[in-house]
Amino acid sequence: MTLFHFGNCFSLAYFPYFITYKCSGLSEYNAFWRCVQAGATYLFVQLCKMLFLATFFPTWEGGAGVYDFVGEFMKATVDLADLLGLHLVMSRNAGKGEYKIMVAAMGWATAELIMSRCIPLWVGARGIEFDWKYIQMSFDSNISLVHYIAMAAVVWMFTRYDLPKSFRLPVTILLGLCVYKGFLME
Amino acid sequence: MFEEASEVLENMLKWSFPLSLVLFLVLVCPLRAEAAHEFSVYRMQQYDLQGQTYGSRNAILNTEARTVDAEVLSRRCVMVRLADFSYEKYQKALRQSAGAVVIILPQNMSTMPQDIVQQFMELEPELLATETIVPVYFALEDEELLSIYTQTQISSSSQGSSSAAEVLLHTATANGFQMVTSGAQSKAVSDWAITSLEGRLTGAGGEDLPTIVLVAHYDSFGVAPWLSYGADSNGSGVAVLLELARLFSRLYSYKRTHAGYNLLFFLSGGGKFNYQGTKRWLEDNLDHTDSSLLQDNVAFVLCLDTLGNSDNLHLHVSKPPKEGSPQHALLRELETVAAHQHPDLKFSMVHKKINLADDTLAWEHERFGIRRLPAFTLSHLESHRSPARHSIMDMRSVSSLEGAGEDTAGPHVDLTKLSRNTKVIAEALARVIYNLTEKGVGGDLQIFTEQMQVQEDQLASLVDWLTAQPRAAQLLDKDSSIVNTLEYYLSRYLKDVKRHLVRADKRDPEFVFYDQLKQTMNAYRVKPAIFDLLLAVCIASYLGVLYLAVQNFGLLYGFLRRVTAPRVKQH
Repeated sequence: MTLFHFGNCFSLAYFPYFITYKCSGLSEYNAFWRCVQAGATYLFVQLCKMLFLATFFPTWEGGAGVYDFVGEFMKATVDLADLLGLHLVMSRNAGKGEYKIMVAAMGWATAELIMSRCIPLWVGARGIEFDWKYIQMSFDSNISLVHYIAMAAVVWMFTRYDLPKSFRLPVTILLGLCVYKGFLME
Repeated sequence: MFEEASEVLENMLKWSFPLSLVLFLVLVCPLRAEAAHEFSVYRMQQYDLQGQTYGSRNAILNTEARTVDAEVLSRRCVMVRLADFSYEKYQKALRQSAGAVVIILPQNMSTMPQDIVQQFMELEPELLATETIVPVYFALEDEELLSIYTQTQISSSSQGSSSAAEVLLHTATANGFQMVTSGAQSKAVSDWAITSLEGRLTGAGGEDLPTIVLVAHYDSFGVAPWLSYGADSNGSGVAVLLELARLFSRLYSYKRTHAGYNLLFFLSGGGKFNYQGTKRWLEDNLDHTDSSLLQDNVAFVLCLDTLGNSDNLHLHVSKPPKEGSPQHALLRELETVAAHQHPDLKFSMVHKKINLADDTLAWEHERFGIRRLPAFTLSHLESHRSPARHSIMDMRSVSSLEGAGEDTAGPHVDLTKLSRNTKVIAEALARVIYNLTEKGVGGDLQIFTEQMQVQEDQLASLVDWLTAQPRAAQLLDKDSSIVNTLEYYLSRYLKDVKRHLVRADKRDPEFVFYDQLKQTMNAYRVKPAIFDLLLAVCIASYLGVLYLAVQNFGLLYGFLRRVTAPRVKQH
């Protein structure tokens, strides 16, 4: 609506990240550069996903009302690459489990925030027209921060070899839920 | 953290200077937001006539919307529906220096009751008479505009009467609207040319024949130029003139019926602006040329103005015609034809002296009268001040073909009456040029029958075409399609079809037109300023809570562990 509104949405979106960074003790580990690296990995993974999708899944022409279950299912499967990316980041970072999880998740989520939310907020929230969706978008970024932390934690747990067998199944299910979240929502 | 951040950023910046340049450009570029609703608005007239300014001076606006019942109207855009419009409310808005006034007209005027239409028609000249800085716009109603209006009305009427808590809730939920127009400030159009068209039918039998001039002005007038369709005034006059041209050109094409009168047809522009086209045409023909049909033997000039309705027909004169003059002959023939062939028609003569002290002339024949040419105007209106001559309500209504029982609001054209009037005029003119009364032909003989009859569907299609687009003088320049089509039509039946241009004098202009008459208005949904503050407070508190939660996450974690004790694995 105005610059003030933009400032509101911006702070709603960014401050939790800031707070999380400060208070989770990452600053003591000089983790900023590693977070940026995690962010770069996110960009790379997104790029690969997009290329893959564009090459192997041409636009589906048939039937406007029919939801192409199989096609969308395949597309969601590509989101597995997200998990792989997280795993990659975490394996490259030496250190305690929590440290790895937090670094990966923070970097990933921040990169996603900057890439997918910054421009809409700048262009839209600063305009004259008011829409609730900008506040929704900022709030959504908070939720996705928590989501990514959880996802990173689950991935880490999945790769631990000293995990008791009883926990394998729930962990796998949670991972599956993470990937197909978008698909299931439809 | 900031030191390492700045280090990292410095490194990045060194290699990404082009990127940051692009970023800078993106940051600085102007914004275009999508509007809640975009609609066309038509501005009220703005013109200067003979040094006197009329109408609304201003064009741009960027203000919040309010309806007329709100208390604070200053610097706001006041939206009114036609049904609720009254002069007092308009005055109130002007007194409080409102930012703009937007009057919402229904899509279909025939849904409005008669008295509202009448009232509005009477208000139109008053609206124009008070010169105002406030831009006044007219918009046609559609669903979205109506919903914007009702939302604005709800929020306007609830101001100032509720408690603080209600106001807070209200700011969070309600929508305000910001109205923005996209155009520039209005300025005078320089060098506007008003076009007039003339054509003639030469009489049989040599030189020095008397001339009959038939005149009709083809432009229309209303409170908003883009909405003035002028069906009756003067679309009907133009249709009659064109039909007469067709009929008489047919008569003149046969040697036996080729009469001894020259017929000069003139379609004048700028008629509603004190007959500018006619004035200049007369000056050029009488003062600046050596020989012209107007200088020699003019029998009379018949001006046609508003002939599309009612069972009255008035012949307006500035001097009662003398016995034995051609004008008297026409008067007599009109009476004869009306009495014998159309008894339902009430014909009368109205005598009004030319008053040169008035701002504008009453009828078109007065222009000719000032130059000592015998002239009269034929109209179904009794007074030149009738609001039907300057109204935007004068539209081609759909139902006039089915006719009689329907009580359609506002002036409109009734085709049966229009064709009857055309026939009366044609018969009377024929009786004059063929001298039928002297030859003893009875008043019952109808000349224009069968193949020569007045074609009603021709008239219908002419009126339909004329009212399909607005014909205000400010919108018709010399290249407009209406002028071109009229010229083409005239050249089918008449000879020597010429254009005549009028441009305002540079130093002392008789008329000045202004632009920016049609604009696109955007309505943006906005929230009041308090909402922003409220939102800031909420976000600050939310962040505070989050901060505390994160700081004391250990507590939360321990709590959770205790609650779900045997299930959680510690890593």
